[in-house]
Amino acid sequence: MRRRVLLGLAPLVLYLGALTLAPVVSTLVLSLRHPEGGWGLGAFRAIAGHYQFAEAVVNTLAITGISLALEFCLGLVAALSLAGRFRAQGVVRVLLLLPLGVPTIVAAAAMRYVFGTVGYLNELLYRLGLLSLPIDWTGSRGLALLTVAVADAWKVTPLVMLILLAGLQAIPREVYEAARTDGAGPWQQFVWITLPLLRPALTLALIVRGVDAFRIFALPLALVGRNLPVLSTYAYVEYLEYGNPYTAAASSTILLLLILFTVGAYLRLAGPEEVLR
Amino acid sequence: MRAARALVLGVLLLFALGPMYLLVKVSLSPPAEVMTAHPTLLPHGITWQHWQRVLGSGQLAAPLRKSLTVASGVALGALLLVAPAAYSLVQLPPRWRYGVLLGLFLCRMLPEVSLAMPIAVVFLRWGLLDTDVGLVLAHLTLVLPVTAWVLTTTFGTLPRDVEEAAALDGCGPLRTLVFIVLPLALPGLVVAALLAWLFSWEEFILATYLTLGEKTLPLQVYYYLYQGNWFVTAVAATVMTLPVLGLSALLQRYLRETPLAGVTR
Repeated sequence: MRRRVLLGLAPLVLYLGALTLAPVVSTLVLSLRHPEGGWGLGAFRAIAGHYQFAEAVVNTLAITGISLALEFCLGLVAALSLAGRFRAQGVVRVLLLLPLGVPTIVAAAAMRYVFGTVGYLNELLYRLGLLSLPIDWTGSRGLALLTVAVADAWKVTPLVMLILLAGLQAIPREVYEAARTDGAGPWQQFVWITLPLLRPALTLALIVRGVDAFRIFALPLALVGRNLPVLSTYAYVEYLEYGNPYTAAASSTILLLLILFTVGAYLRLAGPEEVLR
Repeated sequence: MRAARALVLGVLLLFALGPMYLLVKVSLSPPAEVMTAHPTLLPHGITWQHWQRVLGSGQLAAPLRKSLTVASGVALGALLLVAPAAYSLVQLPPRWRYGVLLGLFLCRMLPEVSLAMPIAVVFLRWGLLDTDVGLVLAHLTLVLPVTAWVLTTTFGTLPRDVEEAAALDGCGPLRTLVFIVLPLALPGLVVAALLAWLFSWEEFILATYLTLGEKTLPLQVYYYLYQGNWFVTAVAATVMTLPVLGLSALLQRYLRETPLAGVTR
């Protein structure tokens, strides 16, 4: 019995050990190696002096912040509007979920049409009389960050919506009924019942989405290009363009530490029972 | 209240569907309708010229073949590796099971760029760069945690007494697995395979690191995007999205039949 269990688990565990853990550890080790041999923080010192790396750190954090703010506002509004029963609910739900399945690179292509200088957002704003000259959405760094964050939020808001919808459905109706008998209005119910009871779902969505946003790669690369480095694309360019595995490894390691720190903080805050439900 | 909900949902629907509408519209529009200072929001003329050009050029056939092969290989490989593991996992005491699941959860969070570089270096040595097999092996690392999660939940919800009844009737462990457990777990297996397939189909980072010449479909779309032809990009991107829509519909149907709805996030 024991042996059969171990035998069943072995292929998966060995596979992940060999092709996931071993590579991640070897990248970590590489970031601490010197090109001429020996150990040291040379690679980290090199990227610390590289202005594009500083930009990559700030860009990664900024995109994560803006994108999370957007998708949580939209996801919460969507989940609240979808809760309860109404006509055409099923259809609306399926349509709102659609962007989740769309491949990231396709999302990037579609967003080019939206945010292009002669694109459709500029045209829409022009027709609404809000704009006389077209805006270059990827021209300045601030706007480019916003564009990438909106594109990211577009794709993943449905995921946040799904998690929050599951959280909403887990709140017992009786709690609201009790609150109403005590004279609580809709706003009070939202602040004092919905938000606190939604907390586990909110933290879970926050962690899953936060870690994904830290790792963002295709959208900044395909929408803006090299001018908007993030931690992932910085590592990619260092390795594949400049052929420098050491600085690439150092940048990957910074990203790894950022993620481990976030997940660790979450596990401490939530406790493993809440993570695994 | 009802009007407010309709308004909010209307705006959200516009946000969700607008970009996809534009993608299809651009792929079918005459260039003069798009490449002007003031493009039209609604389609006026419809032309198949971009579709004919892209499909006629033959540039899409090789990426399409590679992506289909790799995604199918990943789906199959994930089932073969994960089904026995998940079946074993549900027989472990809860503490151990949660430990393994937490480990899988952490594997899913690791940065792809950390994985990709050493894998590329090793695959170069082994001659696996630019091959279907190499990409399947690499994609599996990203897919295994999620599929393991799904299948563990599936096997966890199967009634144990059916298996015990089979054992009483003289059914061996292997026969029980093949004739009793797997058919009962079929919806979960389908969901896991579909998720793995879809994940590989759109994967971009590892494909970038492990490809020299023979592009996958996402890399081909990126190449078109980089070249800057809106129409060609729109056609290729639409081609890439079509199977996703079909399989997502299938996925949603199976999700409704299984008690898995919470797992597949």
